[in-house]
Amino acid sequence: MARIIVVTSGKGGVGKTTTAASLAMGLALRGNRTAVIDFDVGLRNLDLIMGCERRVVYDFVNVINQEAHLRQALIRDKRCEDLYILPASQTRDKEALTKEGVGRVLEEMSEEFDYVICDSPAGIEKGAFLAMYYADDAIVVSNPEVSSVRDADRMIGILSSKSRRAELGEEPIKEHLLLTRYDPKRVERGEMLSVDDVLEILALPLLGVIPESQAVLNASNEGIPVILDEKSNAGQAYRDAVARYLGEDLPQRFIRPERKGLIGRLFGG
Amino acid sequence: MPIVRLRSTDMMTVAAQLRRSVERAPEFFRRAPVVIDVSALPDEAEINLAYLLGQLQQMGMIPVALRGGGPALRELAAAQRLALLADAPVPETRVTETSSPPPPPSPPPPSKAMLVTQPVRSGQRIYARGSDLVVLAAVGYGAEIMADGHIHVYGTLRGRALAGVHGDKGCRIFCRDLQAELVSIAGHYRISEDLDEAVRGRTVQVYMRDTALIIEAF
Amino acid sequence: MGLLSYFRSARPKSAQVAKERLQILVAHERQMRDAPSYLPQMQRELLAVIRKYVHVNDDAISIQMEQDDNHEILEVNIVLPEDGAGRTKTPELRGN
Ligand SMILES: Nc1ncnc2c1ncn2[C@@H]1O[C@H](COP(=O)(O)OP(=O)(O)OP(=O)(O)O)[C@@H](O)[C@H]1O
Ligand SMILES: [Mg+2]
Repeated sequence: MARIIVVTSGKGGVGKTTTAASLAMGLALRGNRTAVIDFDVGLRNLDLIMGCERRVVYDFVNVINQEAHLRQALIRDKRCEDLYILPASQTRDKEALTKEGVGRVLEEMSEEFDYVICDSPAGIEKGAFLAMYYADDAIVVSNPEVSSVRDADRMIGILSSKSRRAELGEEPIKEHLLLTRYDPKRVERGEMLSVDDVLEILALPLLGVIPESQAVLNASNEGIPVILDEKSNAGQAYRDAVARYLGEDLPQRFIRPERKGLIGRLFGG
Repeated sequence: MPIVRLRSTDMMTVAAQLRRSVERAPEFFRRAPVVIDVSALPDEAEINLAYLLGQLQQMGMIPVALRGGGPALRELAAAQRLALLADAPVPETRVTETSSPPPPPSPPPPSKAMLVTQPVRSGQRIYARGSDLVVLAAVGYGAEIMADGHIHVYGTLRGRALAGVHGDKGCRIFCRDLQAELVSIAGHYRISEDLDEAVRGRTVQVYMRDTALIIEAF
Repeated sequence: MGLLSYFRSARPKSAQVAKERLQILVAHERQMRDAPSYLPQMQRELLAVIRKYVHVNDDAISIQMEQDDNHEILEVNIVLPEDGAGRTKTPELRGN
């Protein structure tokens, strides 16, 4: 039985897809059979971030409509044989997703995989609802910025009241907070909410803090999940987050500005 | 003859799925006789036949026969004056983008090609039913163009193009600048990654030779 | 160090402002979220009744729902205007 993990946020553009791609790769690199599903029907992106856009034949909606078998639609990653991608359809809209259909596909996937990661679309409409409905774990992605924190809070409320687990009165979805696009320098200058500020408001266990990093843009340009860029801060931060998800206790790195030398400090402002 | 193959007894879901298929190709289903096939379900499955018949008729189809089903259901179907077919499979026409059903019984009357003069953008989908498709502009990434006949694209083809979607292997795709995500003739396809570098960005035609999909630069 | 921090704290930090706004906003929204669904409607109807007799603002009513283990407390606060309507609120209620 797979664990189903939703990567969600409420607000758009906070780094869900970046996170889903790196998390999936991170789990698969550790030998877990992992699949990542793009729930953003009509605005698919995950295939680009994973670098498999040239291999899409069938998509999630085809599988839901039983126009294709799951195994025809799953794309196997070329870098990691335990990782599969189920792309979204670009020519349909979110109405093509049904609760029963999604449930059926997730059930089938549960038999083959250890982890199934659902990359949620933004918003709190149908697509986002279905992405979280069947989840066992939720990774709530937020930026240290007011509207994103507020939307994350809204999403946390939805997770605890509208999910299948909530409806059946089962143990609630396990929630984790991932703070992305964190800029320690701006936090130090008092221009950006700090990790502690956000934790105080959202009160969720912290899975990790991903620094703002040019490496993320470079990685998505090349279709490589940033976790594979081992030299980058963001890549290392995602590795730590995966390790924490799997139960390791690691200190937070990258939440303080990198210190320049003394000269740099005097003249760099 | 289209076959509605039931895999679930939940008629609401079935009807919703059907409606989506019909929306995709409304003309194809208009006044089409259909066979209801329940042979995939266990004999004792409870099926609300009256509801299904009503839904099919509402969508413009004419249910004519039942295949499979237990004695109770077959009796009900007979009362509704449906023909009862044996369990043995009959040739079927499936309505998915890439399947290859047999050609229609009589050749359709010649029809004019569908002409598209505006760019086809990501997320858009154009289907020339029963005819050729001529696109004068570009077809973007994430766009999909389909035709029962040939496809001509005079702009750059970056999206997907599927010709002969009802199984006519004689159909071809012609395009001025091939950068497609996918090209397909009668269900045989080639994805972007498998495109030969020699044809990428070139003026090409795509056609079937026996069972092989050929992409040839002019 | 002292001098530096003096200059730095001269201006309120926008992050601090952000945090305080968020705390208020989120607390408010959580309360709305957990509240029974009839509350907003009830609030509107109460307001309509009161307005038959006194002129009050939209925000004159606040309704709180509190839950203990075995009972719920519905607290309705109605602020009636003092005689000279339009007087500003007492300043010590605002800010900190
Ligand atoms: N740690 C980071 N540092 C810098 N840029 C980042 C970081 N994380 C994400 N981004 C950038 O932010 C943008 C949005 O990221 P992404 O697509 O992952 O967000 P999303 O939440 O999936 O968006 P949507 O809601 O539209 O699906 C992208 O341009 C991405 O490169
Ligand atoms: Mg996304």
